[in-house]
Amino acid sequence: MAQIEQGGGDGKKKKGAQKKMQIHVDFTPMVDMNMLLITFFMLCTTMIKSQTLSVTLPAKPDPDKPPVESSSKVNQDDAITMILWTERDDQGNVKTDGEGKPMHTIYYYFGKPCAYDPATGQLTEPNKLKAERFIGNSGELAQGIRAILAERNADVLRDVNTQKQRWRNKEITDEEYQAIAKEIRNNKDKYPNRPVVSIKPTEGAAWAAIISAFDEMQINQISQYQLETLKPVDQAMLDQYKAAHPSE
Amino acid sequence: MGKVKIKRKSTLIDMTAMSDVTVLLLTFFMLTSTFLQKEPITVLTPSSVSTEKVPTANVATVLVSPEGKTFISIAGDADETKKDEWGSEAVRKEVLMNAVARYKDATGKDVGITQEDVEKFSKINMFGIPLAYLHQFLQLTQVQQDQFISDMENPQVGIPFTTLRNGKNEFQIWMESIRATKNENLKAAVKAGEGIAVKSDQGTPYSTINQVLTNLQDMMMNRFTVMTALKTEAD
Repeated sequence: MAQIEQGGGDGKKKKGAQKKMQIHVDFTPMVDMNMLLITFFMLCTTMIKSQTLSVTLPAKPDPDKPPVESSSKVNQDDAITMILWTERDDQGNVKTDGEGKPMHTIYYYFGKPCAYDPATGQLTEPNKLKAERFIGNSGELAQGIRAILAERNADVLRDVNTQKQRWRNKEITDEEYQAIAKEIRNNKDKYPNRPVVSIKPTEGAAWAAIISAFDEMQINQISQYQLETLKPVDQAMLDQYKAAHPSE
Repeated sequence: MGKVKIKRKSTLIDMTAMSDVTVLLLTFFMLTSTFLQKEPITVLTPSSVSTEKVPTANVATVLVSPEGKTFISIAGDADETKKDEWGSEAVRKEVLMNAVARYKDATGKDVGITQEDVEKFSKINMFGIPLAYLHQFLQLTQVQQDQFISDMENPQVGIPFTTLRNGKNEFQIWMESIRATKNENLKAAVKAGEGIAVKSDQGTPYSTINQVLTNLQDMMMNRFTVMTALKTEAD
């Protein structure tokens, strides 16, 4: 392992001179051990720290109290309803499209649901449901459901983006930007037409689709959104839409 | 004739530099990594643009498997000085005692948890066994426990949601026990919503996960967080 070589054995040395010693320590076992330790750490650890997303569910309605009509519901025209649907195969696995992306579909409508006859389960007016997908940005351009939501929340989005630009130019700190953005999002006097989104997942909708829907709210700076259960009228609209568009 | 002498070259390679590199790498891995927590099932969390970090201390994680089995893991305070009172093991012991008492209130049955069981329970990261079987489960060796709990077909695995006599279920008993902890930091985190993290696979259907969401809602735990992986707006 460690060898001590005596240098220069030609015997012409002066008397009393110190012998030169060369010390070689073989580091191979040390390297072996280190490699083993590195392998151990690489296999047993997580490098990626997962992120979290805050969710607030609506409070459970108190059966003793009459339901309070919240002020946001007064203006029904601002409501957007998103019904989430996930395509699944016979085994219940999420189907993917040609690019390997999971097939989540958002069926959405603005304002009140269609008039509906509970006795027959049929709609009594033309279906206003439309279908859209979760698609990522192409460059700066929003696509899919994001573009639709961005258009509905254009005023808020524009003002938040102005602030974002200031934050990018280091004019304001991150905390200041977050505070201003929050204030803009919640300013109902300045932006009376902010959308109110209710997210209604169907039974088979994948967890990823719900998270994507929450994500769209964050991206589009929508502050008023709720996770709700599917109502019979929504189901009727969905069924009718699917019957009319069998390919989707 | 002069003999052709073949010089013998030494094959020794100086490994010092190599050793330096490996030690550096080792140090890097040791400093940046956090250990994988043992979980009964590995799930692929959905991605989101949210960049909030998962807290490592004072958090109760609720894991929902695609089959609908629910597991809970509790992490206490990271502060070493409060370890005996607020640390993970102390909190787990407290929550278990609390849950056993609440279960007795709800069903009138004593589950027969011994002091030894409590000690064993405090070492387990993630649990999901009906309280009635917990004693039996804790008697198994660690390998047997891991094997038992990762069998998603077994009806004795997962926290049950069957309604008990007082209208509660075991999941609610556990969550309320966590909320009633003496660890003020965990209590505040649970109240603010950062203390509850729901973790589920991206393909889990809504009907499955809704069970957990409605139960949280029933207990007025309306604010919580969801574990996600990071993605960008372009994805």
